[in-house]
Amino acid sequence: MRLLALMLASLSSGAALAGDSASGELRVRWDAREANTASLAPATPSSASLEAELRGTWHAPVKALSASANVLLGAEHPEGGATRSLTRANELYGSADFGSWQMSAGKKIVGWDVGCGFRPNDFVQQEERRTLLTVTPEGRPLLQLEHFGAEDAASLLWVNPQRTQDDDDAQRGARESALAARWYRRSGALDGYLFGRWGQHTHASLGAAVAWVAGDELELHASARVLQRHDGWAMRSGPLLTSANPWQQAALGGTGQWLLGASWTGQRQQSLLVEFWHDGTTLSDDDWDGWHTRNAALAALVGPPPRAIAGNLAWQATPFLSSSLRRDNLFVRAAWQPEHWLLSLDALVTPADRGHAITAAVQWQGDRLKLNAALRVYGGPADALMSRLPQRRVGVIAATWAF
Amino acid sequence: MKTWMLMLALLASAAHADEVAQLLKAADAYRTGAENLQVETQVSVLNRDGSPDKERRYTVFAQAQHKSLVLMRSPAEAGQKVLMLGDDFWLLMPGSQRPLRITPSQKLLGDASTGDIATMSWSEDYAGTVVGEDKCDAQPCLHLSLNATRKGVSYQRIELWLGKARHEPIKADLYVQSDKLAKQARFVFDKPAAPTTVTEMVLLDQLSNHKETRVRYVSRSPKAVPEAWLNPMFLARNPALD
Repeated sequence: MRLLALMLASLSSGAALAGDSASGELRVRWDAREANTASLAPATPSSASLEAELRGTWHAPVKALSASANVLLGAEHPEGGATRSLTRANELYGSADFGSWQMSAGKKIVGWDVGCGFRPNDFVQQEERRTLLTVTPEGRPLLQLEHFGAEDAASLLWVNPQRTQDDDDAQRGARESALAARWYRRSGALDGYLFGRWGQHTHASLGAAVAWVAGDELELHASARVLQRHDGWAMRSGPLLTSANPWQQAALGGTGQWLLGASWTGQRQQSLLVEFWHDGTTLSDDDWDGWHTRNAALAALVGPPPRAIAGNLAWQATPFLSSSLRRDNLFVRAAWQPEHWLLSLDALVTPADRGHAITAAVQWQGDRLKLNAALRVYGGPADALMSRLPQRRVGVIAATWAF
Repeated sequence: MKTWMLMLALLASAAHADEVAQLLKAADAYRTGAENLQVETQVSVLNRDGSPDKERRYTVFAQAQHKSLVLMRSPAEAGQKVLMLGDDFWLLMPGSQRPLRITPSQKLLGDASTGDIATMSWSEDYAGTVVGEDKCDAQPCLHLSLNATRKGVSYQRIELWLGKARHEPIKADLYVQSDKLAKQARFVFDKPAAPTTVTEMVLLDQLSNHKETRVRYVSRSPKAVPEAWLNPMFLARNPALD
């Protein structure tokens, strides 16, 4: 607590300096999770957490140089478990400003691409999407060089440069050491992007995206990416009953991802977002059919100890950790923003098995206090993946005090 | 004969347009004072009973050629940025560090219309006619009827009243695209007897909540920002502001 008070005092005094900025948030939240009796794996327990997020940018006497930080101090207490620390640096980096050329080094959030529910070309951050409560993600270690023209911009990054000596298993997903580049150009109402990435073990991927304001109320966006190789869940071959989780992350072959989306915003502060995407990095329909078959075979086993069977069934929940469960996804979100309020209702639907996740959320924003509540219900036919998740319903209540 | 009459009509119309342009430039001088500006703005919203509803602070870089960069400074919005380049708009939310293209309608979402804060000039965006002379609280004034000359502005039509002697803005009726009266504005000056600068714009909502929004110009100083700052992708960076 004393450390927090010291940091707040330091932020307050820092804010007085010309050109510097400092701000922060105190947040208390309760995450409730209702277990799904039809699931293969136990649900994550409900939890309460208290967090302080402190942000600041400080400019050196030589104005070209600056340092930025976003630090999260906090702890989470799960029901029936031990309290764990949430403390981390979301961002901690230095920047050099040479006018149209800009450089940064350190841990930094770099968000790319145009989608809302899914972003194929979010090469660096690979931010978790469709969370119940929007919180600042943890940045990635990187070196960044950028150039800004009047109508275009180019970025070149080396993300996770400290991981070049690590083996592949330590470099899965966003932890992979990679070179990434983005070129941007605007042409009137159209924003165009080209992306390129070279990962140490996933090798090349190329992407493109556009966002087009088609009218006063309508925006259309699209994004696509082709990958030479990708990290995904694969099951080791072996006997039906095993003593280790057969599902492991592995470097798999080439595939593609794409997204089409449209958003409409009316004059009465109402909006509608529709997105459809294909994620070739997740398990195919055939893979999931095999998954169902394996579940049935494990459940029908007679002879082995029940705990061993239950453990193997629980491992079957491992591929639920993918960013998309099914390759094809439809996301629809309606929102209304009257005055201090933001009310939203969204649905994620997987047409392959008619599974769905429906989320209702409400936010109230005052001068400093923000209150959030959200509830998500997973459902669909009995064999839909959404019906087999560890949680049937998840909810969050949060209060945030900004300073 | 017909040709001569047509030419005279065209000349009269041109002269009239020139007169309106001069009046608007004179009115703009009370709000801006320079082509490229940094304006510190405080926005207070009051409920119908006069009780305070909310308060927001903004730093606005209003630049030539319809370019504006708005930095949100209040605790509730700290880190948010809006860039307006003519009819094109982008938003940056601090958590994602991802500049996002937004529509003109999305620009109107949130607490105060960003257009109310960032638009400091009428002469570049509107043309119209002098309807005639009028009385504004016993003061003689000119009534102008203006229509937007580009589509990216927040208000498509403005009925504007300027002081007859000094051409300072006194009040305005602001109409949105559907030609509904959205807000009524009145202007507060540093020296009411001999005004030199608008210190506050008071907006009364006529469309939905009937709340009063006071846009107070805390400070204005000439500032031309580097070209890179007006690149949408630059929103994710935090340059030294002075």
